[in-house]
Amino acid sequence: MADEKKPVETTGHQWDDDEGYPLKEYNNPLPKWWLYTFYATIVWAVIYWVFFPAWPTLSGFTKGTLGWSQYKQLDEEIATAKAAQKPFDDQLAKMSLKEISQDPRLLQYAISGGKAVFGDNCAPCHGSGGIGAKGFPTLVDDDWLYGGSLAAIHETIDSGRTGAMPAHLEAHDGSFNTAQVENLTDYVLSLSNQPHDAAQAFKGKALFNGEAGCNGCHGDLGNGSLKGTMEGEALEASVGAPNLTDGIWLYGGSRKAINQSIAKGRNGKMPAWGSGFEGFGRKLDPLSIKEVSLYVHTLSGGSF
Amino acid sequence: MKHDTIEKSIPLMSILVVLVISIGGLVEIVPLFYLDSVIEKVEGMRPYTPLELKGRDIYLREGCYNCHSQMIRPFRDETERYGHYSLAAESQYDHPFQWGSKRTGPDLARVGGKYSSLWHQEHMRRPRNLVPESVMPNYPWLEKNSLDYADIAKRMEVMQTIGVPYSASMIQNAVADLEAQAIPDSESDALLERYGDKVVLDDFDGDAKRITELDALVAYLQMLGTLVDFSAYTAQER
Repeated sequence: MADEKKPVETTGHQWDDDEGYPLKEYNNPLPKWWLYTFYATIVWAVIYWVFFPAWPTLSGFTKGTLGWSQYKQLDEEIATAKAAQKPFDDQLAKMSLKEISQDPRLLQYAISGGKAVFGDNCAPCHGSGGIGAKGFPTLVDDDWLYGGSLAAIHETIDSGRTGAMPAHLEAHDGSFNTAQVENLTDYVLSLSNQPHDAAQAFKGKALFNGEAGCNGCHGDLGNGSLKGTMEGEALEASVGAPNLTDGIWLYGGSRKAINQSIAKGRNGKMPAWGSGFEGFGRKLDPLSIKEVSLYVHTLSGGSF
Repeated sequence: MKHDTIEKSIPLMSILVVLVISIGGLVEIVPLFYLDSVIEKVEGMRPYTPLELKGRDIYLREGCYNCHSQMIRPFRDETERYGHYSLAAESQYDHPFQWGSKRTGPDLARVGGKYSSLWHQEHMRRPRNLVPESVMPNYPWLEKNSLDYADIAKRMEVMQTIGVPYSASMIQNAVADLEAQAIPDSESDALLERYGDKVVLDDFDGDAKRITELDALVAYLQMLGTLVDFSAYTAQER
């Protein structure tokens, strides 16, 4: 036998009662669990208003007795992180790059920090992990333009570098004609053992070490300002002229790319992130520059 | 009041419904119009230059906001990566604002000046040339399409009607200002006088002879988040 329905109060509304089957609306009470949960949320809201920022007023808003705000929380989080880093940071600030590189624990810390700085500021051009891109040198090999020692890397990051390959073609305000630029191109191709026209390269060589003065930066043998010499004398290393004999190219090593480099010049710019800052990017504090220098140094194996 | 009474009178119920809903509006919306912390005045905000405005329109056209937000939240992980958290005042001339709600790519609220224009050119051509793991599509047409800016004054007038304080001379000189910013070494004193010394002048697309859509977009990107001088900024009590 079916359960008898418990008698429940109705709302008093009645429809369609013409035919003797009145439609009534039960006034069922809300389930107890629901009702008490609802009351609990109201109580919670009142407690929240007391402790946390809640209601707008005419001139501001109620701040709550805890004085919490997301901006204060941010400041506290930053302060906590800074305090945790302080013992390390103090040591890093005092020590020279070389000293840090000899302390494995500090080096580990500096490299972790440097990696974060690199990812955010350097990777956009030099690629994730320093793999490089056309026009932006790779940092994972031991081929350097301005030197791969800790000191040289630090100087590059701190003060920036500006490439100074001039344009040579007359049409680009240089002083050589198309044929001469072609000759130079063939000579540069020959330096890295690429297919070239020997006769043109012969003429190019004379220009290279003569009228065009390429050897002043690239050296008599074209092996760059770091390793090269001109008439027995070491070159100015800070010029950053690349080694043309090693098959590593910043702007491409094809005939066309080399020709473009000679004709139009190349003026790649490494911005300064520290003392020489010129408004590009975000200026880095000296500690970050130290850290990122150590990180970059490890990328190439730190062989210099 | 008996529920019966409310339920059986449509006018009475309508009035009560309006009352209940209004409370939400009054409490949540009205204070936004007068509270100092939400209409904070900051130094440096200015309307977009004509070139930047065109760039912003291209930003909208290409749907950049689908993957990039422009809203740095006040969390440590965000401020360490992107810089100072965004202020309400920084989107005051954005109609519509570009806060976004999804970050497939990084936040762009302070991308201005972070990379060189050369980087942006290469990146728009093919993002993977610079960021091998990027999933951003290529936008090669931006450097091919000449910028159509015949309607720039009209666009600025529309902005003016919705509250962007473009002056009459800004609108009058819109075309000249746009060209002055996009063409390197052109006469730009008037532009700087109207919009301030911090306006970035550059050969944004790497092609000095033409004004392309890439010019406009990169000019916009190079300005983002750079207007407020945070060295002179102190947060109001929040």
